[in-house]
Amino acid sequence: MFGQLVLSGIATGALYALTAVAVVVVFRNTRTINLAQGDFAMIGAFAAMIFIKDLGLNYYMALALAVVTCVTLGIAFERLVMRPIADSDWLTLFTATLGMYYVLHGVAGWFWGRDTKAFPVTFDPTPIEVVGALISHGHLINMGWAAGIGLMLFLFFRYTKQGIAMRAVTDDPDTAMLMGIPVRFIVMLTWGMAGFLAAFAGVLLAPIVYVAPEMMDEVLIKGYVAAVFGGLYSIPGAILGALMIGVAENMAGGYLGSHYKTATAFAMIVVLLAFRPQGLFGIQKRREF
Amino acid sequence: MSEILRCENVIVSFGGVIACNNITLGIEEGKVVGLIGPNGAGKTTLFNVLTRFQDCDEGKLFFDGRDIGRHKPHEMAPLGMARTFQNINLFSEQSTLSNILIGAHHRIGNPFANMFGLPSARSNERALVEKAEYIAEMLRLTDDLDNPVKNLPYGHQKRVEMARALAGDPRIILLDEPVAGCNDEETADLKEIVRRVNQDLGITVFLVEHDMSMVMSICDHIYVINFGANLAEGTPAEIQQNPEVIKAYLGEEEDA
Amino acid sequence: MHAKVSSAQAGAAALKQAFRRHNIAAVVAMFAAALAFPFMPGVEGWMASQASLIVIYIIAAQGVSILTGYTGLVTVGHGGFLAIGAYTSALLSKFFGVDLVIGIVAGGLMAGVIGFALGLVFLRLSGAFMAIGTLGFAFFVGTVVNNVPIFEGREGISLPDNRVLGMEIGDVGFYVVSLTCLGLTTLFIYRLVHSGVGRAFMALRDSERAAESSGVNRLLFRTLSFSVSAAITGIAGALNAHIVNYVSAEVFADIWYSVDFLVATVVGGSAMMMGPFVGGVFIVMVPFFLEELADFAFIFKGVVLIGVLILAPAGIAGVLARPVQAWRARKLKALQQTGDAE
Repeated sequence: MFGQLVLSGIATGALYALTAVAVVVVFRNTRTINLAQGDFAMIGAFAAMIFIKDLGLNYYMALALAVVTCVTLGIAFERLVMRPIADSDWLTLFTATLGMYYVLHGVAGWFWGRDTKAFPVTFDPTPIEVVGALISHGHLINMGWAAGIGLMLFLFFRYTKQGIAMRAVTDDPDTAMLMGIPVRFIVMLTWGMAGFLAAFAGVLLAPIVYVAPEMMDEVLIKGYVAAVFGGLYSIPGAILGALMIGVAENMAGGYLGSHYKTATAFAMIVVLLAFRPQGLFGIQKRREF
Repeated sequence: MSEILRCENVIVSFGGVIACNNITLGIEEGKVVGLIGPNGAGKTTLFNVLTRFQDCDEGKLFFDGRDIGRHKPHEMAPLGMARTFQNINLFSEQSTLSNILIGAHHRIGNPFANMFGLPSARSNERALVEKAEYIAEMLRLTDDLDNPVKNLPYGHQKRVEMARALAGDPRIILLDEPVAGCNDEETADLKEIVRRVNQDLGITVFLVEHDMSMVMSICDHIYVINFGANLAEGTPAEIQQNPEVIKAYLGEEEDA
Repeated sequence: MHAKVSSAQAGAAALKQAFRRHNIAAVVAMFAAALAFPFMPGVEGWMASQASLIVIYIIAAQGVSILTGYTGLVTVGHGGFLAIGAYTSALLSKFFGVDLVIGIVAGGLMAGVIGFALGLVFLRLSGAFMAIGTLGFAFFVGTVVNNVPIFEGREGISLPDNRVLGMEIGDVGFYVVSLTCLGLTTLFIYRLVHSGVGRAFMALRDSERAAESSGVNRLLFRTLSFSVSAAITGIAGALNAHIVNYVSAEVFADIWYSVDFLVATVVGGSAMMMGPFVGGVFIVMVPFFLEELADFAFIFKGVVLIGVLILAPAGIAGVLARPVQAWRARKLKALQQTGDAE
C-alpha cells in the first residue's frame, strides 16, 4: 500500500507540477501572481472535450488543438489585459488575473454549464505493476507526459536562444533590454508558455476527475503551494514541491482518511512559511514587492 | 563635549567585496560633521550602518556611550536619531502635515489609546500638530501643509524631509547627500537650514556629501574615507591641504 | 507658538473647515436616509434584509481596506475571519443564548486576537507569500469548520431568534443593529486614519524604510493593522451569522468570500473612506441583479475588476470623488491667489 500511495502521489504531483512551473515562470518574468492559471487549463480541458465529442477528433489531435487554444488565450490575455498595466504594483497585476479568473469561470459556465461532465476519453483501468507497486495506466501516461515536458523545458532554458534570453530577463530585465533582448517578446512568450503548460495540465487531469468550471481550483492552489516551496523562483524547487505535496496528501488520505487530503497542502505551506519564509529553495529576492 | 555617535573598527562585506574596512569615527555632540570620499568609498554603507539599516560583520557602534550594535532601525528614533534620504523618501500620497507628523511617531504613546482616540491621546495629538506647524513655519512650508507632497516642487520636498526629521526632537540628524540634485538656490537654502538647525536648535548634524563647497563651508570636522577605510580627518582647512586627500580625489579625476 | 496668519491663509483655513463640515453633514445625511429606509412606503421586510446584507459586506470591506488600502498589505484570506466571527457568535448563541450585541462583540474580539497571533507569524513574509499564506489560512479555517464536529460542518447550526437587551428583533430591528455597527466602524476608521497609528499604517504602505527611520516598528504595526482588520471583518461575520440565524460550512468555508472582499475594495477604491461603501454595494448588487444569469455575473465582476484596474486604479469612489475634489481645489486656489495679490 505504501508504495502505491507514493507512486500515485508522484503521478498526481506531476500534474500539480505543470501548474506550479507555469506559476513560477510567469512570476519570475513578470512579477505577476497568475490566479487565472488554473482556468487556462480548465478552458483547455473544455476545448479538448469539444474537439473530441463534437468534432469527432482523436485524442492527440484534440490535445494539440487544446494547446493551440490555451497558448492563444495566454497571449491574448497578455496583450489585452496585462500589457496596459505592466508597470503597476504587483497587487494590481494579481487582481487583474483574478478578474480573468472570474471571466473564464463565467464564460465556461455560460457556454457549457456548471454541471460536472465526464471527459470522453478514459484510460485503460487495468493497473500495471511498476517496481512492485500497482499504478493505473492513466497515472503512468501522465507521468510520462510530465517528464517529457520537464525535459523539454530543461532543454529550452539551457540551449535555445529564447530560453537563455528568458533567464536573462528574469535576472535583470533592465540590462537584458539594454543588450537588445526584446523584453516584450519574452513576456509574450512567457504567457504563451503558461498557456502551453495549462493545456497539458487540464487535458491530462480531465479524465481523472471531471470537466467543470471549478475543476482546476484545487489544483491551482496546490500548484501555488508547490511554487512557494521553490521560493516562487526555482523551477526544480516547484517540481519537487509539487511531488512532495502529491505524495504527502496521498499518504494523509491513505492513512488518516480522505478528509485530511486537502488540508495537507496547507498545513505544509503554513509550516514552511513559518520557519523558512523564503521557501525551501528560494533565493532572497532583490526586488521589493 | 562627548561623542553622541561613534563607530569603532566597523567591517562590512558583501559576498567577498569589503565595503567598510575597519572604519572608526566619532561625532561630537553639537557639531556639524561631514563624511566625504570618492565614489565607491563605502560612504553609503557606513551611513546605513550608523542608521542601523545595515548590520556590520565586526565592529562596535555607540550612541551616547551605549552599545547600539544590535538595535533595529526603528529603535533609533526614540533614542534621538533622525535621518534623511538621498533621493527623498517621503510618503508621497500624504499631505505635508502628515509627513511631518510621522517624524514624531515615537511620541504617540500607547497605540491603543491613540487608535480609539482616548482623551489623553487627543491632547497629545494636538500638541504634536502644533509642534509640526511650528516646524513647518520655520522651514517656510506653512502654505504646503495640506497639499500632498507629490505635488510639491523638489526644493519644498527636500524641506519636508528635513521637517520630518526635526519633528521627533532629535539630538542628531544624519543627512544622506542633502543637496544631491539641487540647483544653486536650493543648495544655499538647505545650507542655511542646516546651519540654523545646528546653531539655533543645538542639534548635531552628520552629513555625507559630494558637494565640496557645502561641506567645507558648514562642517566643523570632516572625515575622509577611501576604499572603505579611514583616510584622514580634521577641520576643513586641514583636509583641504592634506596631500593624501588631494591624491585620492585627483587620482579619481585622472582615471575618469 | 502660533504661525503668523495672513487674511488669505485665515480664509483658506476657514474654507477647509467648511469642507470638513460638508463631509460630515453628507455622511450624517446618508446614515439618516439609510436609517429611514425600512420605514419608507413601499419597502418590504425582505428589502431590509437585503439592505442588511449590503451593510455587512460594507463592514467586511472596511476591514479589508484597513489592511490593503491603508497599510498596503495583501490578504486573500479574510473569509477566514468572517467565519471566526460568525462561528464564535453562533456557538455563544446556541449554547448560552446570548444577546446579539454580545455575540457581535465576541466575534470581533476573537477574530482580532487570532488576527494578532496570525499577524506575528505571517507578517514577516513579503507580499506574495503573505497573500498565499492568508489564502491558506482561509482554506484551513474552512477545513476546520467542515471537519470538527462542534461546528456541524455542512449540516449547519440553527440559531435562536435574535435578541437585543432581551427583546426579540425582526428583520428591521436587525437592520438597525447592523447600521449601528456600520456607523461605529466608520467612526472608528475615521478616527484611525487621522491618528498616529493610522499615519504609521500609511507610512508603512508608502515607504517602509522612511517609516522605520521615523521610529515605526514595522512588525508591531503591521500586526496591529492585521488584528484591527480581522476584528472588523469578524464583526461582519457575526452579523452574517445572525442575518438568517443559520451558519453552515457551505457559506463560511467558501474561500471565495475572501476574494470577494478584495474585489470590493479594489473596485470601490481601497484607500478612501467611501471605497468600501461603493465596493460593498457593488459586490452584493451584482448577484442580486444578475441572479438569473449567475455566469454572467461572474463575467461582469471580472470585466469590471479588470476595467477598474486599467482605467481607474483609484477605484470607483476615486472617480466619483474627483469632480468634488477638483471643485474644492479651484476654490482654494482662487483664495490663495487673492492672498498673493495682497
